[in-house]
Amino acid sequence: MTVIEARDVVLSFGETPALRGADLAVAEGELLAIMGPSGSGKSTLLHCLAGILVPESGEILFEGRRVDRLGETERSRLRRDKFGFVFQFGQLVPELSAQENVALPLLLNGMRRAAAVAEARAWFGRLGLDGLEERRSGELSGGQAQRVALARGLVARPRVLFADEPTGALDSLTGEQVMDLLVNAARAEGTTVVLVTHEPRVAAYADREVVVRDGRVHSLTAEAIA
Amino acid sequence: MIRFGLRLTLAGGREAAVRLIVIALAVALGVGMLLLALTGLNGVTSQNDRYGWANSADAPGAEQGVDPLWWQLRVDGFDSRTVGRVDLAATGPLSPVPPGLPRLPGPGEYFASPELAKLIADTPAAQLADRFPGRRLAGTIGRDALPAPDSLVAVVGYTPAELARRAGVTRVGTIAATPPEQCPNGCWRGIPTSGLQLILAVVAAALIFPLFILIGTATRLAATRREQRFAAMRLVGATPAQVSTVSAVESMVSALAGTVLGFVLFFLVRDTVAAIPFTGAPMFPEDLALDPVTFVGVALGVPVVAALAARLALRRVRISPLGVTRRVTPRPPRAWRLIPLAAGLGELAYFVGRRPGTTNGQIMAFLPGIFVVMIGLLVAGPWLTMAGSRLVARRAKRPAALIAARRLADNPRAGFRSVSGLVLALFVTSVAVGVMGSIAADRGTPSRAPDAANLITLFRDRDAAPIGDPVPAGLAAQPGVLGVAVTRIPPASVPVPEAPPGSTTFWPYVLASCDDIAGLPGVTPCAAGVRTVWVWPDLTGPDEWTGPWPAADVDPARLSTFSAQSVVTVTDGSTPALERARTILQLAHPMLYSPYSSVEFMAETAKVFEGWKRLADVVILASLAIAGCSLAVSVAGGLSERKRPFSMLRLTGVPLGTLRRVVALESVTPLVIAATVALGSGLLAAHLFLTAQMRLSLSPPGISFYVIVVAGLAASLAVIASTMPLLRRITGPEAARNE
Repeated sequence: MTVIEARDVVLSFGETPALRGADLAVAEGELLAIMGPSGSGKSTLLHCLAGILVPESGEILFEGRRVDRLGETERSRLRRDKFGFVFQFGQLVPELSAQENVALPLLLNGMRRAAAVAEARAWFGRLGLDGLEERRSGELSGGQAQRVALARGLVARPRVLFADEPTGALDSLTGEQVMDLLVNAARAEGTTVVLVTHEPRVAAYADREVVVRDGRVHSLTAEAIA
Repeated sequence: MIRFGLRLTLAGGREAAVRLIVIALAVALGVGMLLLALTGLNGVTSQNDRYGWANSADAPGAEQGVDPLWWQLRVDGFDSRTVGRVDLAATGPLSPVPPGLPRLPGPGEYFASPELAKLIADTPAAQLADRFPGRRLAGTIGRDALPAPDSLVAVVGYTPAELARRAGVTRVGTIAATPPEQCPNGCWRGIPTSGLQLILAVVAAALIFPLFILIGTATRLAATRREQRFAAMRLVGATPAQVSTVSAVESMVSALAGTVLGFVLFFLVRDTVAAIPFTGAPMFPEDLALDPVTFVGVALGVPVVAALAARLALRRVRISPLGVTRRVTPRPPRAWRLIPLAAGLGELAYFVGRRPGTTNGQIMAFLPGIFVVMIGLLVAGPWLTMAGSRLVARRAKRPAALIAARRLADNPRAGFRSVSGLVLALFVTSVAVGVMGSIAADRGTPSRAPDAANLITLFRDRDAAPIGDPVPAGLAAQPGVLGVAVTRIPPASVPVPEAPPGSTTFWPYVLASCDDIAGLPGVTPCAAGVRTVWVWPDLTGPDEWTGPWPAADVDPARLSTFSAQSVVTVTDGSTPALERARTILQLAHPMLYSPYSSVEFMAETAKVFEGWKRLADVVILASLAIAGCSLAVSVAGGLSERKRPFSMLRLTGVPLGTLRRVVALESVTPLVIAATVALGSGLLAAHLFLTAQMRLSLSPPGISFYVIVVAGLAASLAVIASTMPLLRRITGPEAARNE
């Protein structure tokens, strides 16, 4: 069953076209990798799917609902309630401790602080972060910070986790550790994952890979045939 | 490296240009206000010195000199304005000439200030011109003899024979250049210089602190970006000295531009500021003159201080090429930070009961105390912010409160810095309102409104008090005069009655005829059957006195044989009636002080007080405005530095409203905490100052104080709100890109 879908999506930044009729469907529980060279439009596609950007034409559907027709407030609520995010870097609030960062989505959803922190702490053991609960982002290594971000992305049990170059700022070994944890945690939670990367080794964790080239989505098989 | 620094400063893109402009404007404001405060100190002295010549008779050794003048100073009045007048007679060709005059006026001539000359020309002669015998205007008096551009001054010529026989006339051989320290016989003077200098010194301090904060805040604008740039320069081999040079060049350029702008601003507003009667009278623009020391000190000092501030702000980068790449929690402030605040208040408390005798001593006593309290507030602010934000963080239920409190607890110095200008502004406000309000309250509200209709002619010199009928013939018949009464000094054979036991007021001590009093509207009448009573010279009693007049066992027929103490002339209150009566009385009794009404008696003091209040209002408004600018710069700078985490939060669905609450709480929390302490310290400092300097207690501030405080806080919220569009703009989707 398709959870999220882009149909003939077009978007330009000024005179520069980013997406020129992108089509993509992601099935429930699927781990999809979007690949492509720099500037191909892969991050823009992710932002459209996540309701961060609104396409000029075409449709974005989440569970059959038109996301592109929602207002800014509704799209914000959708992102907060149904989606999780992991970015390349700089996503943790530097003043909050690691566990408070993880608890943040729960607090935003109105959960009581003690309960939110308790739920957040449970993720520390799962992601190998025991003992780091009180650390600030400046006191964490790159890999640790990404694992905290991953915990934050999954703590509210989102339907879809969007990961934009989650290992882009990490060395290969740490990157693999983060990807192992991401995949295992997502599978355990049944979360659909849309992963943007330009590294084949990272894309290899996915169930399916697509390539964005010149603003259009190509399946890897078709790409190989072409 | 200097050229490179100049290129970075002048062609460093939009951000560098904004920083340059903000710093330059902050410095310009600072320099302009500093120059006005410093020249104001000189202006007060210059203005006061121009009262000196008129008070020459009281200067030590006044009679020394060739051909000394016969000289009488008279303080006259017209329509609630003071007229300074000197009657003089030359005794020889070498008699000294007062400043502002081309020559001495001959008998029957007078010189008048331009404003008085105009007034005389525009007023019927019986009301003003007739006070100058001969009535020949010989010319106008130059500004050297005028305390203010609108001063009413006259120098009137007489023959020595006319003047020599007048009571209260002295010999003046040397014209004084400055007012005498003491005036045993009475002076014509303006606002006391000592008090104003003390107040201006506090004003200068009160304005300069918030300005330094604004300059400091502007210098830190986009500090992270600059730190990164300097760190990158260090990484490629730039020495600490080279980085310092670039940073110093950046600061010097904006500070120099600001200093030049500040001087321009000073000259632009100087005439306007000089015209505001802060001292009770306007100044000549030249009074706010820039002396070489002030000019050089400000022109060189401000850029140097700005460069030093920038060097301090970037000291971490000069040490390490890594700059500030790793963010760690700064060391929390310690409780010792409360000590300077306590020390400042302690210093003020020390002088309670130990007030120094001289003005300089008082400045040295109170100014450092107030300075130290202000520094103390700045030093204690981060600790107070940390303590308060930890409390908030512990109790925070909502994410916005938690993020704001954590950020404040994490770096309370930065959190407090953004509101420090406002905190000082509130301190200054509470000191100013506390002091001014308490002085006003001490004066109390009289139970009777001051009377403008009754002219009191008081014979202060008992030896020269007239006997017989001191009322000039025809005064009572003048249009607008409703009645005249004379009070008399009892001879030794008529003992003054003792005040009844328990009475807290002076008892009436001069005599008046009940027949005279009976005809005066508004004056307490005598009891039935009484013919002579004990009264006060102005025929009114203290506020709490309700009458009746105590009867005196004196035959009213004897009264005219006693010396007169006063003449009370009741008019219909119109200016023509009042001034005609004053002209007649003044001609008949040429004394130091002309007939006056109680309104006029209070007018001068009220004018001075109004001037002080105006000064306080300027300080409050200016410091609040400057502090508002600091807050805006600081909040905008803080937003810009947290662009990425805020953008990421917004992209993950955090509502913009939550981020707005974070930003608002980050400023409001330290503001509320530190403002409470600032207001308390301000009122305490005001109380200590009042107790030590004036032996007064602090009166609870009136509603206007709370209005100012609430308005200040509301304005700061508005400033914070004004930065919110920036939050929406900088947290857009483009921030999510990884480049």
